[in-house]
Amino acid sequence: MSRTMFRVLTAASVATALAFAANAQQVGFSPLDRTDQKKSKQDLNLKGHPTPSTMTPVDKLPLDKLSLPAGFKAEVWSHGHPGARTMVMGSKGTIFMGTRVLGRVYAITDRGGKREAKVLLQGLTQPNGLAFRDGSLYVFAIHQVFRFDNIEDKLDNPGEPVDLTKAFNLPDTVHHNWKYVAFGPDGKLYVQVGANCNVCEINNATHGQIRRYNADGTGMEIIARGVRNTVGFDWHPQTGELWFTDHGRDWAGNDGPEDELNVIAKGNEGAFFGFPYCHANGVPDPDIRIPNACAGVTLPAATTGPHAAGLGIKFYTGSMFPKEYQNVAFIARRGSWNREQKFGYDVITARTDGAKATLAPFMTGLLDEKANAFHGRPTYLFQMADGSLLVSDEQNGAIYRISYSTPGATKK
Amino acid sequence: MELKQVLQSWWRPLVLGLAAAVLLEGATFAQTMPIAERAKLCGACHGEDGNSRMPNIPSIAGQPEFFLVHQLILFREGVRKVPGMNELLNGLKDDDLIALAKHFTVLAPKSSEEKLDLALVKRGEALVEPMRCASCHLPGLEGQEQMPRLAKQRIDYLIHSLKQFRDNRRSGADTLMSAVVIGVSDDDIAALAHYAASR
Repeated sequence: MSRTMFRVLTAASVATALAFAANAQQVGFSPLDRTDQKKSKQDLNLKGHPTPSTMTPVDKLPLDKLSLPAGFKAEVWSHGHPGARTMVMGSKGTIFMGTRVLGRVYAITDRGGKREAKVLLQGLTQPNGLAFRDGSLYVFAIHQVFRFDNIEDKLDNPGEPVDLTKAFNLPDTVHHNWKYVAFGPDGKLYVQVGANCNVCEINNATHGQIRRYNADGTGMEIIARGVRNTVGFDWHPQTGELWFTDHGRDWAGNDGPEDELNVIAKGNEGAFFGFPYCHANGVPDPDIRIPNACAGVTLPAATTGPHAAGLGIKFYTGSMFPKEYQNVAFIARRGSWNREQKFGYDVITARTDGAKATLAPFMTGLLDEKANAFHGRPTYLFQMADGSLLVSDEQNGAIYRISYSTPGATKK
Repeated sequence: MELKQVLQSWWRPLVLGLAAAVLLEGATFAQTMPIAERAKLCGACHGEDGNSRMPNIPSIAGQPEFFLVHQLILFREGVRKVPGMNELLNGLKDDDLIALAKHFTVLAPKSSEEKLDLALVKRGEALVEPMRCASCHLPGLEGQEQMPRLAKQRIDYLIHSLKQFRDNRRSGADTLMSAVVIGVSDDDIAALAHYAASR
């Protein structure tokens, strides 16, 4: 683990703490929030589920619960890295993994078929946003942006990063701003900026967006507005259009407004996706009312379930899965907290057709509906070179590998 | 400012932390130190029975085990920044932290010797329901899982901590508590602290 980095960050953070003491009006959560919990008629004791910050022993992983279509198989690919969320791969095969509250970035390497996970960086604030390009790892931790050059040659001591925080000039509000970032087919770096509230009148110039930048932080453009909180996006392999998940607001009922799967159609860059006035497939907000709430709003390609928390999305382009999965999007749903009967905790598929999509279950079994309990929380997806699909489980700090072999074919 | 004043101000944890860091540099929790000795080091500030007698230093007796483990990990890794705590825990393994948490979670929480202001307690009682504190911290404010015990906590620490959440000075925390205490006045924070301490 990187002690140098730890010291650097500690020194920087003391400075930050003092800056906050002097200038305390910056808040992690908007004071303008308009949530009316009582009106929701939901159980007011609903709250977020705790995410363990310690390792889940391998024999306690819920592998036996996972259920997949015929021919698919799940195995534990790596484990022992609590808070497992985003995954990107370096050009030399290292999987870098981001976390939220735990503040770590892991480096997972494959040594002779066995995976070794180590803490690469620690002490960061919610480093969920990772991207890799030309040997460099980009780490987005709320508004902080660091670039670690030649990182795969320095996994034991990443050294000091290039600090791109000023160049990207992202808001330092914490809520809904654990970043998702990715390089697009155009070579630009796409960055999430969520709404810093459950429901409030956000400043459209700064929040509720997807932006794209040149890799050095210059040339910022806003390509989607009125987006409450996307925590995952990917580009359709054929159309090149950006598809993104977006979480619906809480405390407006157990059944909605549902989460969204959206597409920025060609020529529709900069479109308005409705937050905070219009949710899901055209549901006006109950707390912030305006006339014609859904006028001019780009509605979703599909709604993805109430409080389901769709995070990672990945269009499948590998050769291992059957042909019918080609260019189909997989979506990891982390699962609900603001719903009395739990929902999600699975991986679904989305078959896209123009600006519409049809959903179907894919990996289930982590939700025990009868007991209203869950065994794991899928967060992100990564397609390996051999066409297998990695699924991270934040609750258990593990990655599952999903592979396919034709049913009835000889097994080894 | 006189030293006494410094020690009584909200700066105290910082000053104390730096002092602890200096004192303990090199002689920190050695990897081989038995848990009883380690717990004794914690007790130097948090009270040997886990009930703090030092201004602005929280009591940790009877805190939920999940909460203690989680916070210790965040301290160790510098996510939650409190000088002193960060240095003290640097290098300890998860199992060491779990052992410390197990030690303190079973100890009995006791009220501090701070003077309760009964008018504030009453005012705080009226705030707790609309602010829905019990929803996470439970009706007796004993805490659960990642949410800390507030009952019998030190008044000065509760005030310090609530203000940190309100003013976005609590590094590494999720934003839920900030959302709850946004815009709450200093007087109401004092009332909440006196009420929670009285439970």
